[in-house]
Order: sequence, then C-alpha cells, then structure tokens
Amino acid sequence: MADHVADTREAPEQGVSVAQVSMTVNGTARRTTVESRKTLADTLREDFGFTGTHLGCEHGVCGACTVLVDGAAVRSCLMFAVQADGADVVTVEGLTPPGGGLSAVQQAFREEHGLQCGFCTPGFVVSVTAYLRDNPAPSDAELRAALSGNLCRCTGYQGIVAAARRAARELAEEQQ
Amino acid sequence: MKPAPFSYHRPETLAEAVGTLGAFGDEARVLAGGQSLVPVMALRLGRFGHIVDLGQVGALRYVRDDGGSIAVGAMTTHAAAGRDPLAAGSVPLLARAIPFIGHFQIRNRGTVGGSCAHADPAAEIPAVAVTLDAEMEAAGPERTRRIPAAEFFASTYTTTLEPDEVLTSLRFPVWQGRTGFAIREFARRSGDFALAGALCAVTLDADCRIERAAIGLLGLGAVPVRAFQAEQAITGTAPGDLDMTEIGLLAVADTDPPDDVHATSAYRRRVGAAMAAQALAAAVAEAQAGTGITQEAAHG
Amino acid sequence: MSGTEATGAASPVMAAGRYIGQSVRRREDPRLLTGRGRYVDDIVVPGVLHAAFVRSTVAHGELRGVDAEAARALPGVVAVLTAADLNPGLRPTWQTMMGPQAPAAPFRPLADTDVRYVGDPIALVVAENRYIAEDAAELVAADIEPLEPVLDTGAALDGAASLVHPELGSNLAGEIPAAASPALDAAFGDAAHVVTETFYQHRYVCVPMETRGLVAQWDPASEQLTVWAATQGPHEFRAICARILGLPEARIRVIMGDVGGGFGQKMFPMREDIAVVLAARRLGRPVKWIEDRNENLLSGGHAREEQMTVAVATDDAGHFTGVRAEQVENVGAYPFPGNGSTAGAGCLIFPGPYRIPALSYGATAVYTTTCGRCAYRGPWMMETVAREQMVDVVARHLGIDPLELRRRNVISQAELPFTTATGMVYDTVSPADTLEQAAALIGYDAFRKEQEAAREQGRLLGIGLALYIEPSQSFGPLGTEGATVRLEPDGRVALIMGTASHGQSLETTMAQVVAENLGCDLADVTFMQGDTAFVPYGAGTGGSRSAVVSAGAARGAAVGLRERIVALAAAVLEVAPGDLEVADSAVAVRGDPASAIPFAKLAALAYFEHATLPAGAPATLEVSERFKAPPFTFSNACHAATVEVDPVTGQVSILRYVVSEDCGVMINPMVVEGQIAGGVVQGIGGVLYEHMVYDADGNPLTSTLLDYLLPTAAEAPVIEYGHVETASRLPGGAKGMGEGGAIASPPALANAINDALAPLGIHLASQPMSPSAIVTALMAREHARDDAG
Repeated sequence: MADHVADTREAPEQGVSVAQVSMTVNGTARRTTVESRKTLADTLREDFGFTGTHLGCEHGVCGACTVLVDGAAVRSCLMFAVQADGADVVTVEGLTPPGGGLSAVQQAFREEHGLQCGFCTPGFVVSVTAYLRDNPAPSDAELRAALSGNLCRCTGYQGIVAAARRAARELAEEQQ
Repeated sequence: MKPAPFSYHRPETLAEAVGTLGAFGDEARVLAGGQSLVPVMALRLGRFGHIVDLGQVGALRYVRDDGGSIAVGAMTTHAAAGRDPLAAGSVPLLARAIPFIGHFQIRNRGTVGGSCAHADPAAEIPAVAVTLDAEMEAAGPERTRRIPAAEFFASTYTTTLEPDEVLTSLRFPVWQGRTGFAIREFARRSGDFALAGALCAVTLDADCRIERAAIGLLGLGAVPVRAFQAEQAITGTAPGDLDMTEIGLLAVADTDPPDDVHATSAYRRRVGAAMAAQALAAAVAEAQAGTGITQEAAHG
Repeated sequence: MSGTEATGAASPVMAAGRYIGQSVRRREDPRLLTGRGRYVDDIVVPGVLHAAFVRSTVAHGELRGVDAEAARALPGVVAVLTAADLNPGLRPTWQTMMGPQAPAAPFRPLADTDVRYVGDPIALVVAENRYIAEDAAELVAADIEPLEPVLDTGAALDGAASLVHPELGSNLAGEIPAAASPALDAAFGDAAHVVTETFYQHRYVCVPMETRGLVAQWDPASEQLTVWAATQGPHEFRAICARILGLPEARIRVIMGDVGGGFGQKMFPMREDIAVVLAARRLGRPVKWIEDRNENLLSGGHAREEQMTVAVATDDAGHFTGVRAEQVENVGAYPFPGNGSTAGAGCLIFPGPYRIPALSYGATAVYTTTCGRCAYRGPWMMETVAREQMVDVVARHLGIDPLELRRRNVISQAELPFTTATGMVYDTVSPADTLEQAAALIGYDAFRKEQEAAREQGRLLGIGLALYIEPSQSFGPLGTEGATVRLEPDGRVALIMGTASHGQSLETTMAQVVAENLGCDLADVTFMQGDTAFVPYGAGTGGSRSAVVSAGAARGAAVGLRERIVALAAAVLEVAPGDLEVADSAVAVRGDPASAIPFAKLAALAYFEHATLPAGAPATLEVSERFKAPPFTFSNACHAATVEVDPVTGQVSILRYVVSEDCGVMINPMVVEGQIAGGVVQGIGGVLYEHMVYDADGNPLTSTLLDYLLPTAAEAPVIEYGHVETASRLPGGAKGMGEGGAIASPPALANAINDALAPLGIHLASQPMSPSAIVTALMAREHARDDAG
C-alpha cells in the first residue's frame, strides 16, 4: 500500500516524482519504478511487457487502452501507475482461458468478424467481458450504449455488436 | 500526449489532503477520478506541480441518509452512486442523470465530487445539484463550510472553492410528497456532453396542482442554471392547463448559450426549450401516476 | 517467374468451391484477439530513442529562428534537430504512382524559412523516452513572424493572397481544364431542362485507430537502413527512402507487422517519417516515433474538402443529355501523393453508371495554409457525392421520383460493353441489377407510403439512393502484384506476398485462393507479407485492388505450383499429367485413390531424394508469379438509406441501410461485408458527425477526438446486404472492392435527409448535415413562414 510509494514518509510534504509501484497484473505480482506521471497504460506496455493494451488517443475517448482495475473496466490512459499501486489489474492478455485458446467473448468476435485491423480489439474485448459479467442480458439499446465507449474505424461496428450479442447468449447458456 | 512532471501526493486522510493543498496553493490540484483532469494534463492544457490524489481517502466514499438529505461523499464514483439503492430511492433525479455521464468505463472512475469541482457547463451532476438546491460541503484548513449549489458554480470550469479547500460531499435534499423527476438531454452521440439539457422536479399538492417545481438547465450557459421564471409561472397551476412548449421557451428565455463548432447559440436554446418541455411533462406525469416512470434517453 | 495477362475472353466463372466463396474465419484473429499483435509501438529495439516534433502553432509565418538551447540541456535529451540538420543534401523524391514529373508541393522534412500550417514540423527532439521528448519540445522556442493565412480556395487564387509555397509562384496546385465540346454545348442548347447546383463537401480526417509511427535504424557498417513502419505500402516506403537518401533499394529493409488501419493515410511515408529516418542515420541510434492523436488530427493528412458545381441537361423525360462539372479542391499545404488532387481519377469515373452522351469535367486544386491532403478511402469520390445528389436534385426539379429517374438513365445489361464519354469501358457491371435489388430490399415503394402517412403526423421521413461504379486501381505502377508459393519439405505451403494487409484479411483470403487452386488444406497454408527483404514487390494495399491483382498473383502462383507438383507426380508414377488429379494435399491417378501420393512425400522426394527421380522431373517446388491486371476492373453497388429527421433537434436517425454490391466472385463474403460496413460507417460519420474545422486564423478547432466526432456503435445502423455476382473476365472472376462503402454512403444519406426535408422547401447542398445545420435551415424556413403571415 502506501509503503510502496517511496519517500512519502521521509518528505511527505514534497510528494514524489518517482515511485515504486506494485500491482497484480494478470494474476502475477509485478513491481516497477516509474515517474508519477507515467500512465498505467504506458507502464503495462513498457514496464510489464503487456503490449496488447493499445494507445489510440491518450485522452480517454477511444477506449483502446481499456483494462480491468479491481474488476472495473477503466481507461488506462487516464490513470497514473501510482494510482494503481496495490491494485489487481487484468489486461486482454489475462483473458485467455487457463487452458489456452479464446474466451467466449474472444471466440464470439472471431465468429462474427468483429475485428479487421485489430487495434481497437483488446479494448473492446476487455470492455465487453466486464460489461456482460455485470449485465448478462442487455437490450439492444443498452448493449450499443455500452459499446459506445470504444471506437472502431474498420468494422462499422456490425461484427462487434453481433459478437457482443452472441457472447451474451453463449455466456447465458453456459450459466444454465 | 504525455503529461508534464509533477510531485504526487497520496494522503490517506482528509486532513492530510487539506494540509497538502494549503502548502502548495495554486501549484496543487486535487486528483479525483481523473476522467476530466488527466486529459487536460495529457494535452498539457494545464500543468500542476503537485497532484493530490484522494483515491485513498476512503472516508470520502459513501452514500448516507443525513436526515432530510442524502449525503454523497465526493469520491463516490458515478457507478457506485448509480447503483446505490438509497440514492435511487431518495434522489431519483441523481440516479436518472448518471447513465448520461459519458460511458460506463468513465463512470467506473469518475466521481460526483470531481464532476462538480471540474464544473463543465454541460455536466449532469452539477445540474442535478443546482436543480435540487443541493449543498456542497468543503473542508479547508481552518473550517468546513457549506456552499449552496447555486453559489458553488461560478463560471465555465470555475467554482467558488478556495485553492486550499477540498470538496468533501454533496447533500441532496429529499423531496417529499407526490413527486416526479425527469432529465432530458440531447447529445450528438451516445455519451457525449449534451448540447442542451433540462432537469425537472415537481411536487403536486392534494388537488394535483403544482405545489413546487424546479427546472434546471445544462449546457445553456457557463454554469447550470435554474429557470426561475418558468418555475414561478407553473407553481400553483394545474398541469393540464399548461402549454409545455411555451413553458419550455420561457425556461430558456434568459439564457445566452455559446456558439461553438458543435452548435449555435440559437440551436442550444431551441433544443433546451424542447428538453425543458419534455422533462416537465415527464416529471408531471410521474407525479400524477404516483409511481416511477421509465426514463427514456432524449436521443438514440 | 511467369506472367499472366488477363485475356479478352471471358474466363469460366468459378463456382463456390471448398474455400472460394466461403466465409472462412480469419487466421489473423487469434493473435489480435489475445493482444498478441505486433504493431509498430510494440517493437522493442535495444538502445532505441524516442522522438517528438516541435510544431508550428501558427498557420503561416516566417520562421526567424529556432532556439533549442534549453531543450538540449534537459537531462535525457540526446538531440534537437532542425531543418539545418536534416534538410540539406537530400535528393528529390516522388511517389511511384505519380512519377517524378507530377506537380507536387516542395518536399522538406522540417520547416526551414517559414511555416505553412498549424502543425508544420519545425524541430525533432530525440530523447530517452517520449515523456522527456515532449518536455524538451515545450522548451524549444520558435520565433515566428505571422503572415496572413491562406484558407479559402477562392481567396487563395486571387492576386492579393500570400503564397503558401513562394517557390512555386502560385497557390494553384493543379488544374484540369474542362474540355471544350460542341456536342455538349448543343446538348445544353437543345435541352428541355437545365438544372445546376453546387455541392460542398467538408474536410475529413481518416483517423485510423492506430496513428502513424515508425522505428528507424541505420547501420553504418553495412550501410543498411531498417525501418519498422505502420505502413500500407512497405515497398513504397522503401522506394521513397531510397530516392531521397540516394541508397540502393536492396539496402533498405522496411518491415510491416500488424498495422492498425490506414485508409490511405499510411500509403506513403510523409515528412515526419523521413525526418525520423534522417535522424536515425545522423545519430547512429535507432529512433522511434509514435504519432499521438493530437498530431494525427493536426498533421497526419486531411481529406476531401472540395466543392463541385454540376449542370445537367435533360430531355423531357429526364434522360441526361449532357453534364458539366467544375470542381475546386482544397489540398492544404503539403499534400500526398503529388499535389493531392484526385480529379484525375474523378473525371474518368464521374459518369458513374449512367448514360451520359456528352460530358465535361474541370478541376482546380488549390494550396492553403492547412494540413495537406492524404489519400482517403476512395479519394476521388466527390464525383459520386455530387453526381448522386444531383440526380435527386434533377428528379425533384422535374417532378420525377429519384428511383424512376435512375431507372431511366442507368446503363442496362443489354448495353454492355459500354464506353463512357470519358473512355471507361464497362463490361461486367450490373448497376441496374443492384438498383433494383437495393430498392426491393429497402422496400422503396412501401416506404413512400409510410413516408406520406408520417408526414401527415408532422414526422419527417426520407429515403435516399446512391449508385456508383468503383474502379479497382491497377493502372501503371499499381498494375501488378507478386506472390511466391512454395511447397516446404514437410509438404505444407508457404505463401509469400507483396501485400500490406492491415485489416483487409488478406492473410485469410489469399490463403483461401491458394488452397483452392493448389488443392491443399487451408490450414496447411502459411501466409507471409510485409518484409521487403524477402517478399515480392508490392504497390501497397489500398485502392480496392487486392482481389484482382494480389489474388491474381496468388492464384497464378498456386496454379503454377500445382502443375509442377503434378508433373513431378507424373514422373514418379510414370503416367501422363492429364491422368492425375489433386485433392487434399495429395496427387492421385483419377479413379484410383490408392495411388495417391501426399504432397509431403513429393516434397521429400524433390528436396532430399532427387537422385531417385526420373530425368526431367522438376526439382523446384516453388513458383513466383507477377500478375498483370488490366488498368481498371469495375465493381458497382447501390446504397439505399431511410432516415427520420427530428424537426426540433435536427437529429438524423438512420432507420435502415441497405447495400446491394457486385464485386464479382467473392473470395470471402464475410470479409466483403466487413469492408462495406467499415466504409459505410465512415461515410455516415462524415455526413453527420465528423468535421475538421479551422478558424479564421487557420487554427484547428477540432484537434482531439472530443471535437472530431467519430460514430460509435450506438450511431451505426444495422447494414443489410444484397449481393450480385457478375464475374469479371479475369481468372477466378474477381473484382476489387473496399473503398465503395465510403464513396456511396455520403450521397445516399444526404439524399435521404434532403428527401425528408423537401416538403419544407429545404435543400442542403453542403455537408456536414449536423443537427445544428439542419435546424438552422429549419429555423430560417420557420421564420420565413412566420414573416409571410
């Protein structure tokens, strides 16, 4: 927790411009030293090597950088790594099932041609995974509103909406 | 688009936070959810030598009954406030406004306090606060004070908070009686800031006349405003006697919204009037029915 | 290497085979879905430095000096390079498809004596990481004396305007004079009706989800340049570097991994890319530049922004007897390719699918102090945007339904082959069929009734059509593609191509073509592209050409390899090749399955046991093919849209969107539909949401995604498809596609909106048709009505 934010105790008044941060990433404890201004997105990509999280805008609009922080889908370009100290982070790489292969959401995207260049895809996969976990039976309008926080330029969203719907259906069937 | 360097502070108590702000004055900025502040920093439109992250100040995350009001801690995320049953039951207008805020990923981090402190003219939480005559509580080094919402928002992105004050909570009065609430806003895309929007709370008396009404407008000026003229015009009337379109026009009559790349001033007033009419009609209908109504988005 | 030319005779149409015509799921997906793609920012090169540009914040000005002292002193900064460091000693360069003589803006990596648009790169900071590079960039002081910006194309051409490029002596970037035509004059003179309208299309930005970027590394010992690039054309990247640096192409290696979209913006290396390459060479360290989104919107390349005045002469029944078009294009300051004008293509395609006996098309391209144009999905498309809107304008003027007017003028099957007034020969197109299919799918006649009933309730419903012909661009340097198909020792297949697939699914579709034509399992084909060190020359992926040219090469190479494999098996089995058939990666005597020799066995014989083979048995199980396509192959489609316009908010809701597409024999229908969909939503974005805006001083007002609005899943309609499959005369019956979705959607939507507003006497000839623009028109109408009492 606070111990990992170096120097706070020695000179609490001044704050820290460099800090050691620890977090769990895709189930593994990781630690690195970063400037306080380094975003969670950059830290995941560069310090921890999870390049599946992409930077499409760096101002919180496109959603390509979406990861799970303590289970919630968030824009990792709008968080500093120091804010995620002690957090449980899951990136797209962490959604692969234990035995390998594709998760239900990933498989649905493949079936429905929900990706072309693939750059927006990790952000969508993480967002849809989190959304369907919390909202297993969305209406079409609710689903589209939920998807509206991620931008895609290649697919025109046809395959993405179909994939999310398909994943919802298949996940619901799995529950039965 | 990387932010400029800053010293990072992560207080664990409110007192620490206030102390840090006091030490660094204008150089310091509070970081709440970061959904508005971090883009500003990334674009280097604002730079701050010291960032005070309230993320560990757990004492600022709550929704509780405050006797006649619902108090929402400033660091409560939009998502948490939107899920809270107490808030939904006692301050329906808040619960209905929250789904309009950005996207669910933004709501997972963005906070009700952060939204107010950022003071975007088209933001929903400030508009709910102004509509319901909420009170903002701010903690400074010497004292804690309460600021009526109408006095909190000074101008675009500007509040009356002192540089060494932390917004700690929002207290929303609970409306009693035969009440109805509605928000109607128009945005170009799902999740965008609205071009114009209206929020309405009404109470009907025993004769089904409007006993009390509040009409708030967002996106039509530098700050969210109340349409007092329209409120006065409808108080005491039977809703059936009202021409909602006319009331909507009256509601926006004193506004002077901006022209920008997205819409003209005339456009905003036209749509604002329509939103006010729709919000009023929906709130009245709910009050008449005595039960909750399904909120529809004004667009999409 | 053998070459195959398209013959004049019609090739037999391939029936849907084991793979051709199947919606095979993509090979690309597993890695992209699991975050294991390799985009350029994922590349890690030891010792790499990071670049950031200092850019002009002024649209036009004299660059008096650049003070980089404070920036250079910042810890972690390795260099701050200016024009003095990077510009000298460069040889001329040009884009291959344009040639060295084509008019173009001056090419200089960094601004030297002046700045010519907001975003113009002035200096390049190279530092240990991007954060520090941006800190240093802020410390660079550029002394700029502002000059009058040049923003308006009209003003740019009058004598008083300052020159964007003083060394060119004029702001005229290019001109295609409208040809004089007595026949056309006569048509107008004799016409029963002449209708004229001017259409304005605004400035778009491509916005691929991945911005531009590259890593450049110069090895002085081997004098070799290696570039990992987010590119749509690695060979073009290489060629331009070779020209400008004076290096042999073979000593430049450009590597394209996964690329996050391009839409034309990544077709050619631009000034920043060259600046980074030069910096890497100068510093002797690898340099990485990843453009950020703000830069991408400021400087990555803009598109469209043009107007076209169209005059149409018709007879009594609405048949087009003559058309005149005059286009003015705003190409910005540093356009690519060439001078950024697209009118050279537009003027050929302009007749579209209609019978137009006489036609003139003139165009003027103008430089302004704004970001230069790049190619963007169907760059010439103003011809369709204007033409299809004009058809509706003429229809309204004549009191004829727009569908009916199209029926009267569209080229019918019976008229094929049809030579347009611009010399294009349409042979295997089907515009009339797609028109009928789209109209039927959308329920045109039923909608008209629904529309009337809605009008009585004060609701504004509208329907719009757009027909177009789309050229698959394979003229000149775009006319060939290469493929190598090799049977590996293990009996599986390597497919090596010069493509640059970045979302077009070529890793899957080209493998389908090879598997089908070679007779092996799709799973046994491994596709490789993107590394100029070992792939055949390619002209880049774009221009709706892959299914023609690239697939032609893949097919030819696969057929060639199959013939070799059969010849080898024939020699081994001592039968005639004609007695053999290939299926499931094995060769067998027809009717005798027990005789089958698997590919793996044949490969082992060829590679390891060649001594046992009869004399004359082929030893090489590798075929390279360079396929030559005709200059154009034509696809066509009809788009139909229905909308409702909210009279209070001006919001446009798209009720239904239908596309009837004929792109010949489809390799993978799922991929075709995906390409259509992406283009359609980009067109919807353009008409309703996207607008790149400059203020009166040339400052961009929409330089983040908060203001340049892209449609989301909530705004995208469901797209319904109909397919017509008219095979081309090329082997496999292929035609290209890909750009069309973005070409026809703006006019289809504009026509639907205008159809909804027509009863109010409103016609919008300008885009975007934002809610505010629509309401402004509605309010003007309301006031006029009120004034009239």
